[in-house]
Amino acid sequence: MRGDLDGVRVLDLTREPGFFAGKLLGDLGADVVKIEPPGGDPARRRPPFWGGVVDPERSLLWLALNTSKRGITLDLDRPRGRALFLDLAGHADVVLETEAPGGMASRGLGWLALQAQNPRLVHCAITPFGQDGPRAGWRGSDLTVVAASGNLYSTGDPDRAPVRCTLPVSYYHGGIEAAVGVVFGLVAREQTGAGQHVDVALQEAMVMPNIGTAAMFKMTGNRGSRAGAFMRQEKSVAREIWPCRDGFVSFALRGGAARIPGLVAMVRYMDEHGMASPALKAMDWKTYNHNLLTQDEVDALSREFAAFFATKTTTELYHAACERNLMLAPINTPREITASVQLAAREFFVDVATTRGTLRYPGAFARSTAARIGIARPAPRLGEHTAEVLADLGLGAADVERLRAEGVV
Amino acid sequence: MTDVFAGTTILEFGGGAAGPVATRYFADHGATVIRVESRQRPDFLRTLRLTPGAPGGLDGAHHFAVLNANKLSVALNLSKPEGVAVARQLALWADAVAENFAPGAMAKWGLDYASLVKDRADLVMISTCLNGQTGPERHYPGFGGQGSALAGFNHLTGWPDREPVGPFGTITDSLSPRFAALLLAGALFRRRRTGEGQHIDLSQVEGGIVCLTESILTYTANGEVLTRMGNRSRHEAPHGVFPCAGKDRWIAIVVHDDDDWRRLVRVLGDPAWATAPSLATPAGRLTQVDEVEKCLGEWTSTQDAGALAEHLQAAGVDATAVADFADLHEDPQLAHRGHFQSVEHAVLGRHPAETHAIRFSATAPRIHSAAPRLGEHTEHVLQRLLGMPADEYARLAAAGIFE
Repeated sequence: MRGDLDGVRVLDLTREPGFFAGKLLGDLGADVVKIEPPGGDPARRRPPFWGGVVDPERSLLWLALNTSKRGITLDLDRPRGRALFLDLAGHADVVLETEAPGGMASRGLGWLALQAQNPRLVHCAITPFGQDGPRAGWRGSDLTVVAASGNLYSTGDPDRAPVRCTLPVSYYHGGIEAAVGVVFGLVAREQTGAGQHVDVALQEAMVMPNIGTAAMFKMTGNRGSRAGAFMRQEKSVAREIWPCRDGFVSFALRGGAARIPGLVAMVRYMDEHGMASPALKAMDWKTYNHNLLTQDEVDALSREFAAFFATKTTTELYHAACERNLMLAPINTPREITASVQLAAREFFVDVATTRGTLRYPGAFARSTAARIGIARPAPRLGEHTAEVLADLGLGAADVERLRAEGVV
Repeated sequence: MTDVFAGTTILEFGGGAAGPVATRYFADHGATVIRVESRQRPDFLRTLRLTPGAPGGLDGAHHFAVLNANKLSVALNLSKPEGVAVARQLALWADAVAENFAPGAMAKWGLDYASLVKDRADLVMISTCLNGQTGPERHYPGFGGQGSALAGFNHLTGWPDREPVGPFGTITDSLSPRFAALLLAGALFRRRRTGEGQHIDLSQVEGGIVCLTESILTYTANGEVLTRMGNRSRHEAPHGVFPCAGKDRWIAIVVHDDDDWRRLVRVLGDPAWATAPSLATPAGRLTQVDEVEKCLGEWTSTQDAGALAEHLQAAGVDATAVADFADLHEDPQLAHRGHFQSVEHAVLGRHPAETHAIRFSATAPRIHSAAPRLGEHTEHVLQRLLGMPADEYARLAAAGIFE
């Protein structure tokens, strides 16, 4: 099967915040060429390393997010390196980069120069705050852009500081956003023949994960708040993360009419174990409206659910959830995720062969009846495809050897 | 320049955020996005906070309103065969179909890909649900909170000495629309080039797990389960959120390397605790992270978060004030990018809606109309766009098909 982006050539200059964008384009079939400085991307030096062995080919961060790419080295701080990059850009469809605004232009590789070289080029830049505006020059990284997006403020416990996800979710959000921008740019080019500049800001990308509540402030006056394992809605605070016998599950009382069948099924399940009180069994679910409950009513309901969950394991509860349509899920770790029967049935995990051995990866982020989606090749070794890619520019082995001696590649 | 998706029509079934936010990317760039809705089973966002007597009823839900700007709404009662027949006509006429019902719902109506493709070979359709369209747990009915838990985000969010928390906003509900927009754009790109259609199956849990590949590899390669560690980093310190003056005000500060640390120490005024040689390296700062965070927190606690962030940034330090939802409306950078755009809603009046985080040099995202009232555009879409004769429309209306 062909990928949707077969035949699209991407030059990927990104550091960590942009790795995912290039990987997604590669997973969709684009020929993504990762361009690293001759010393290698800094991610290659970052632990944890596969097997604990310090080796630029064993950084798990690097290996995780650079699959489906070829890789070359090129020193863009040298004139010859810049000239070669412009040649490559002349034959590419997309340039992806994460330089600070102005960083590419200071090397003579800004949008105007790239556009002059190749008017059909789509140039996508991912930065913390965007290419222009009062904070374009600010530094930013996952924690600080999430802090500036409203998303951090409402995550965590009320008695402690706002808290982030330990892995950098803004880079995943921003990576997908950038991939969307690139494909929109390619669709536009089909119509106009012209490329364009695509400016993706991570701060702004993290506002959408608030799912509308940021815009709603003007109507609700809700500035956000942290409730830890609980969630505040309307008049009450109710648990969302519940301890059970061997871990935690996610389950909620709120959610409007769509949630009620799950609540009814849960009470029936509890009753089969003799753990639904007469009051709970007598609930009139037809008129149940979480938004009207007092805190006392929420607490009374919660006590019963909590007592029941404490008698069950996450596996038992999730199994029941799938069988009985309970809206409940375990707080999974990679241990449970890699053992999932659902993911096994869908052959989600794939073994990727590398020169250092075989690694088990999450596979395709989606399926299609016509398009190939998923890991197309392992993450590149440092400079693995330098000779092969430069050969496209007509450079022979001797030329590449000379460039290597000069430190350009 | 013309909007990139001007002239493209996308038909949308479903509700919540995971499906409907995806089509906004196209609507904000000229596409006509038509929601098929029903009073029999309204989008849960129209009912999430609904209380008896609320102004506008199903049309007064602000949560629905802020996510569904720029769309049209057609009301069709899919429990009646004639309602399904109209939906089918629309699906075959549109350029693409997006749906996020539970697996099997579309098939029950004969509106699934396998049924539709018989009459339209180049159909582009995306289906998204928590666990995907196949497999033993495909019918599992959770919301985004459950998707986030299944995919592994909750386990990684919170404090190591406490129970996990969810990243605010149920993260698979925000990752999935992005994946869906990417896949739909890719499919439309392919069809323009090759004429081929396709059906896409996006499992929101699988998409989330692909994001967390680093965590999965750390387990499959090394047998190690990464666990939540508050705001700390495994690689550098300080990397945290510190109290500021005022009620629940905070600043995020990140040191990436020794140069950053020296810059920060200079802003601190070179106090004795910070100039200790043992803190000159990442290893030293990580070993003494408790003490470093405590001293830094004492220093920040008397200062204004916004002013301190400006001050630190001016010195080249990566720092931002922690913004709440009110602050975002005063944020000069979001204002510069036009993130919030104001629309006039029939029930709610003037309110802000949000666009995405992409700015194209050729065209700007534009929010031109408020979210639709349920069925607001039934007549317009069926008669004007689809070309249904007026008498046929009247007959179906009388039969209760548009409810």
